[in-house]
Amino acid sequence: MEEKYGGDVRAGPGGGGGLGPVDVPSARLTKYIVLLCFTKFLKAVGLFESYDLLKAVHIVQFIFILKLGTAFFMVLFQKPFSSGKTITKHQWIKIFKHAVAGCIISLLWFFGLTLCGPLRTLLLFEHSDIVVISLLSVLFTSSGGGPAKTRGAAFFIIAVICLLLFDNDDLMAKMAEHPEGHHDSALTHMLYTVIAFLGVADHKGGVLLLVLALCCKVGFHTASRKLSIDIGGGKRLQALSHLVSVLLLCPWVIVLSVTTESKVESWFSLIMPFATVIFSVMILDFYVDSICSVKMEVSKCARYGSFPIFISALLFGNFWTHPITDQLRAMNKAAHQESTEHVLSGGVVVSAIFFILSANILSSPSKKGQKGTLIGYSPEGTPLYNFMGDAFQHSSQSIPRFIKESLKQILEESDSRQIFYFLCLNLLFTFVELFYGVLTNSLGLISDGFHMLFDCSALVMGLFAALMSRWKATRIFSYGYGRIEILSGFINGLFLIVIAFFVFMESVARLIDPPELDTHMLTPVSVGGLIVNLIGICAFSHAHSHAHGASQGSCHSSDHSHSHHMHGHSDHGHGHSHGPVGGGMNANMRGVFLHVLADTLGSIGVIVSTILIEQFGWFIADPLCSLFIAILISLSVVPLIKDACQVLLLRLPPEYEKELHIALEKIQKIEGLISYRDPHFWRHSASIVAGTIHIQVTSDVLEQRIVQQVTGILKDAGVNNLTIQVEKEAYFQHMSGLSTGFHDVLAMTKQMESMKYCKDGTYIM
Amino acid sequence: MGTIHLFRKPQRSFFGKLLREFRLVAADRRSWKILLFGVINLVCTGFLLMWCSSTNSIALTAYTYLTIFDLFSLMTCLISYWVTMRKPSPVYSFGFERLEVLAVFASTVLAQLGALFILKESAERFLEQPEIHTGRLLVGTFVALSFNLFTMLSIRNKPFAYVSEAASTSWLQEHVADLSRSLCGIIPGLSSIFLPRMNPFVLIDLAGAFALCITYMLIEINNYFAVDTASAIAIALMTFGTMYPMSVYSGKVLLQTTPPHVIGQLDKLIREVSTLDGVLEVRNEHFWTLGFGSLSGPGSGCSTLFFCGFPCPLLFASGNMASGVAVSDGVIKVFNDMKAGSVHVRIRRDANEQMVLAHVTNRLYTLVSTLTVQIFKDDWIRPALLSVPVAANVLNFSDHHIIPMPLLKGTDDLNPVTSTPAKPSSPPPEFSFNTPGKNVNPVILLNTQTRPYGFGLNHGHTPYSSMLNQGLGVPGIGATQGLRTGFTNIPSRYGTNRIGQPRP
Repeated sequence: MEEKYGGDVRAGPGGGGGLGPVDVPSARLTKYIVLLCFTKFLKAVGLFESYDLLKAVHIVQFIFILKLGTAFFMVLFQKPFSSGKTITKHQWIKIFKHAVAGCIISLLWFFGLTLCGPLRTLLLFEHSDIVVISLLSVLFTSSGGGPAKTRGAAFFIIAVICLLLFDNDDLMAKMAEHPEGHHDSALTHMLYTVIAFLGVADHKGGVLLLVLALCCKVGFHTASRKLSIDIGGGKRLQALSHLVSVLLLCPWVIVLSVTTESKVESWFSLIMPFATVIFSVMILDFYVDSICSVKMEVSKCARYGSFPIFISALLFGNFWTHPITDQLRAMNKAAHQESTEHVLSGGVVVSAIFFILSANILSSPSKKGQKGTLIGYSPEGTPLYNFMGDAFQHSSQSIPRFIKESLKQILEESDSRQIFYFLCLNLLFTFVELFYGVLTNSLGLISDGFHMLFDCSALVMGLFAALMSRWKATRIFSYGYGRIEILSGFINGLFLIVIAFFVFMESVARLIDPPELDTHMLTPVSVGGLIVNLIGICAFSHAHSHAHGASQGSCHSSDHSHSHHMHGHSDHGHGHSHGPVGGGMNANMRGVFLHVLADTLGSIGVIVSTILIEQFGWFIADPLCSLFIAILISLSVVPLIKDACQVLLLRLPPEYEKELHIALEKIQKIEGLISYRDPHFWRHSASIVAGTIHIQVTSDVLEQRIVQQVTGILKDAGVNNLTIQVEKEAYFQHMSGLSTGFHDVLAMTKQMESMKYCKDGTYIM
Repeated sequence: MGTIHLFRKPQRSFFGKLLREFRLVAADRRSWKILLFGVINLVCTGFLLMWCSSTNSIALTAYTYLTIFDLFSLMTCLISYWVTMRKPSPVYSFGFERLEVLAVFASTVLAQLGALFILKESAERFLEQPEIHTGRLLVGTFVALSFNLFTMLSIRNKPFAYVSEAASTSWLQEHVADLSRSLCGIIPGLSSIFLPRMNPFVLIDLAGAFALCITYMLIEINNYFAVDTASAIAIALMTFGTMYPMSVYSGKVLLQTTPPHVIGQLDKLIREVSTLDGVLEVRNEHFWTLGFGSLSGPGSGCSTLFFCGFPCPLLFASGNMASGVAVSDGVIKVFNDMKAGSVHVRIRRDANEQMVLAHVTNRLYTLVSTLTVQIFKDDWIRPALLSVPVAANVLNFSDHHIIPMPLLKGTDDLNPVTSTPAKPSSPPPEFSFNTPGKNVNPVILLNTQTRPYGFGLNHGHTPYSSMLNQGLGVPGIGATQGLRTGFTNIPSRYGTNRIGQPRP
């Protein structure tokens, strides 16, 4: 879709001119495209065929025969031993590795085929390397290449999810009676066990397996590129590799055919289907792909290749067991089997559409460097862009190093250290809870775990703010990053208000319609929580004795009345951290603290309501308790939000109000001072109180003396970032001489049209 | 209950104040419309919440949160009316423009927190998918959609209009722009409809309604209840995407950061300032945005969003306006926001402070409306011959005529006048080519330091008076023009003078 508009000039080698719509291929390309489409069609046929074959033949035997046929054919045609330079021992080892990897990938591939049928296998596995590579680059690097690629990646993921979730494959029903352990070989049995352990259905396991195999395939192709050059061409490598893998699989097959009895009645009847599969899936596809990649662009090749294969997969998926296609089917054995396996479903169709779209988008040539940043305008008036962005982005450090550095930074200071430890405990607890919930299949525990994660996000934000607040001042953050803590405190306050709102809504709903609660499970957990909480409160009550009476606690979620163990640790962690902060000046820590306190009192609320319900059967106690807690949360948050708002609105700091007033009076008494104007004082962050003031003095005083005096007075009053503008009468004379001022600017903006014409170089500085 | 006692008194007065301010705002005719919409919004939200619980659909809940966000945006609009009526008070010395910014920030953050809550709920729902009743789903969708669109289009919400234009585009907008560009490639006639930047709120309303329609369809056809959760996640993600750039923009204003779009102009001005005669160094520059779009200047109460379709790049190159520039889809928009700033200028010992102050103010005033310039000298005590004890190193410093650069750094830290800690000398991450406090020109330093006292004073007067004549000599329109050329020529003139100066 993109390049229609872009009209890009790269119409491919031999594309016959770059003008005009590129989608219409020139006559020379047409035959290759037709060939490609036909090959892909045959490949689809071959895969459907091999699915039928795999019902009868063991997978290792199948792969062995496939490799044998291919090796035979390719050795015959490529003559890898008689032509080309000799292969060294070192290269043989590499070929051996190549063969092993190839075997494993084809094993995964065909095992996936047996699990989820040919249609889904085709949809998942038949993506060209370029599609997967651009998908991975979108997912894992920041410079994915524009919104189109992101969309393509999203489509791909949606398609996979559609296959996983919305595909009502009939095999899933059959899965239920699938007896474990009667598989043909140890290998398949192992794979089955792995899939069963993951807790997904066979079909879904197949989907995941195929995605894994796809990634492996792409990595394998990329890795073997260098080897193929060393050996002397991809075809020679393929021939040798197939040969080696035949030798590799040979003993296994022999052992297998000796130990297990074959399900095949006559191997002779299978010759024809095997020939079809070998020819269409292995040989023809390989040769046509290599020809097309030479003649056409890779991206175009990928697009023309993916479309027919998906379409034909859909068609065969619908019609394979239909009598019409009997001609195509070389193996008629399964003709009378009912067609309930791996049929077409709505989910598959949707995911096929998404796969086609994503293959189309992801394989389109990426337009790197098109997104420059505007840096200015040339003298001619054309905008200038900077395309260097990509080059700088790649100089990032490695991830483990980054993690190590940031961990070191976190542990350096007490605030962030405390939050970090507490966050770790919280996360640990959450995952234990989730794991236990999954293990015992308790939905309540799992949902409580999610709730904890939701709460953790506030802690993560607090941690980030604590970390960032120590960053050095930059050009953009000219005062330093300290103010981030205040903003984070504000956001945390909003967060608590949102929580209070939801708890309030929930409890109102429960007041109207009180649900039956199952309290017996809740008792041991909440009593444990209470004990830990009491320990925590004892731990921090001595460390923290300043004016936090205002922050009465609160609680979220007595609706999720499950364990709240870690709140105990929370206060414990907090008790130390809050001691040195003092005065509640650090809004970030205050926000985190309120959050923790909310959780703590929440668990107490749970216990109280549990006792009331157990002892008296007052089921109304639970919503009432929640209501009370919601009100407490909002009341306790109000001071935090109010303070943060005042700082953000650049209010005169209330705690310095009196001193500043006195200081200003003192300033007025300075000798030689006429008056002052525009006194602005505000708190920038916990440590910086900034101020600016304009002072008019008589013309016979030394300005620097005045500056020193005023600085001294204001510093005593607590302002530590000062700018003092000392003005004499001369200043106003100069200013009126320069006739600057707001009115002047206004006049200038009105005159802009006329200014445009003064091209005497005044605007190019 | 210490809390409640503590709070009773301020709360009562708070409500009284609120009522008074409300009356003030309600006196305005425009706010009646907003109040009306607010009441309708409340009714609408109530109904929608009811339908949410009756259908049990979380996607509809996510969509309802957008309606609640609308309520916040209406409140923000009211606040912006109130702000225009208020004058700065002694306590809030910068005025109340920032309240508008804070309101925008709070409402976008609240919307994102709501989306976070939706994400959490949907994670829980994936485990146990409840049944969705489609009865009111479509009705609710269309009621919410029509109400949202009606509110968006009929009320001119100044702060949000400003932020949505000034902030960077959301991913939703980018994708729509990308799609529509490729669509316009097929049908060129559509370019006038699709190519301009889409309003993010309209976009998210439409996209959310679309997701809900799909949900309805799939549930009706096939009982895929999981679609409801999926589309709730989609709506929540879209809400994140839409609100995030706006909250980043307003958050950066709240953090008192230098807006990136003026850094270029600012640099140019500071370079100009540092080449003024007598100026040794400019440091501790703090420039930040005070509030959203208002034509800056003392006493200007008119808060107008100033954007014009200006195809003229000369304007921006000339750096003569306190403005941000956004190039979106070929239309250049100029955002005029209010800046404040303070700067410390170190000057030569013999330079005329008041004149340098006037020149510096004159330069920066074009960009920064609330400006404070502190002029300081290193060893001002010595020529005055006062009997104040002077630190030994200061004396040493002034005795040397040729000053090596490292020594200058050393004196920076010792200076009693400046209080801000010295900035790091390594280039900051955001911006590479000019760090604060580094606008030092070593050549100037050497030359100016070696000049005899008193010479600079005379020297400084000459260009000033000549320029004054030039500026005042031409009346009318010509006055500004002459002034302009005068301004921009000054640095080069100073420079040539200085370079041409023979060393003693």
